[in-house]
Amino acid sequence: MTFPAAQAIFYYMAAASVVSAMLAVTRKNPVHSMLWILSLFMHVAGIFLLLSAEFLAAVQIIVYAGAILIFYLFVLMLLDLPGEEARPRFGRHWPVAAVGAMGLVVLAWLAQIQTLDSTQVGVASAPPHVAAEDPALGSLSGVGTALFGPFALPFEMASLILLAAIVGAVVLARRKAGS
Amino acid sequence: MIVPVGVVLALSGVLFGIGVFGFLARRNIILMLISVEIMLNAVNLSLAGFSRHLDNPRGQILALFVIAVAAAEAGVGLGLVIALNRNKPGAGVADLTQLKW
Repeated sequence: MTFPAAQAIFYYMAAASVVSAMLAVTRKNPVHSMLWILSLFMHVAGIFLLLSAEFLAAVQIIVYAGAILIFYLFVLMLLDLPGEEARPRFGRHWPVAAVGAMGLVVLAWLAQIQTLDSTQVGVASAPPHVAAEDPALGSLSGVGTALFGPFALPFEMASLILLAAIVGAVVLARRKAGS
Repeated sequence: MIVPVGVVLALSGVLFGIGVFGFLARRNIILMLISVEIMLNAVNLSLAGFSRHLDNPRGQILALFVIAVAAAEAGVGLGLVIALNRNKPGAGVADLTQLKW
């Protein structure tokens, strides 16, 4: 994807996702936080589109913004929202949290700039091409072939994980008889 | 690639840091769980960026599985929040100081 405005669009999406995330973790009203999270998910989906990950962008919108976020909003409605808004947002230790988070990011950045500067990144990681004709990166046929081919076992395991989560959530959230 | 891969990594790092700050600093359980989702999105960005940079679809497949596991974790975590809210209505994170009450 190399149309002329692509870079500008990427930088807008990047800035918007950072701003959305910062606003999301600092709002008093939890519902406002959720709406900023929605904005974050949408902009991340846009960045996926610019990185040739079209299927991932679609899954991001459908699953993250369309299912997980709605689930969070449902459970949020159980809370006493005016009471939540009246309480302080952050614990008293929040400067420690900010310094810790920034330190982690700086450490991660310092740890990776060594390897990225070297020119060996492409050589050691030549992907094993399964077929003579490879589908385009991120296309639906490519992802589908991979999920039913080399990644069939993780695919089945993911369905097992989801089954375990469903059973666990039902058991945790139901009313016990006689309580 | 339209931007250098370092830019995507920097974005991923910044988003991850914001998620870490939100997880450590907020007092509401649901907002802590949402900060975990921010962190997972940051990781997905990094995976997709590398997948594009190395022209290897594995990064995107792994990001798909990260999304699936995030959905499972959200389900179980929110089930816990519901059970907690039923037994101790209005409990904040600071009130959960005992293993059993």
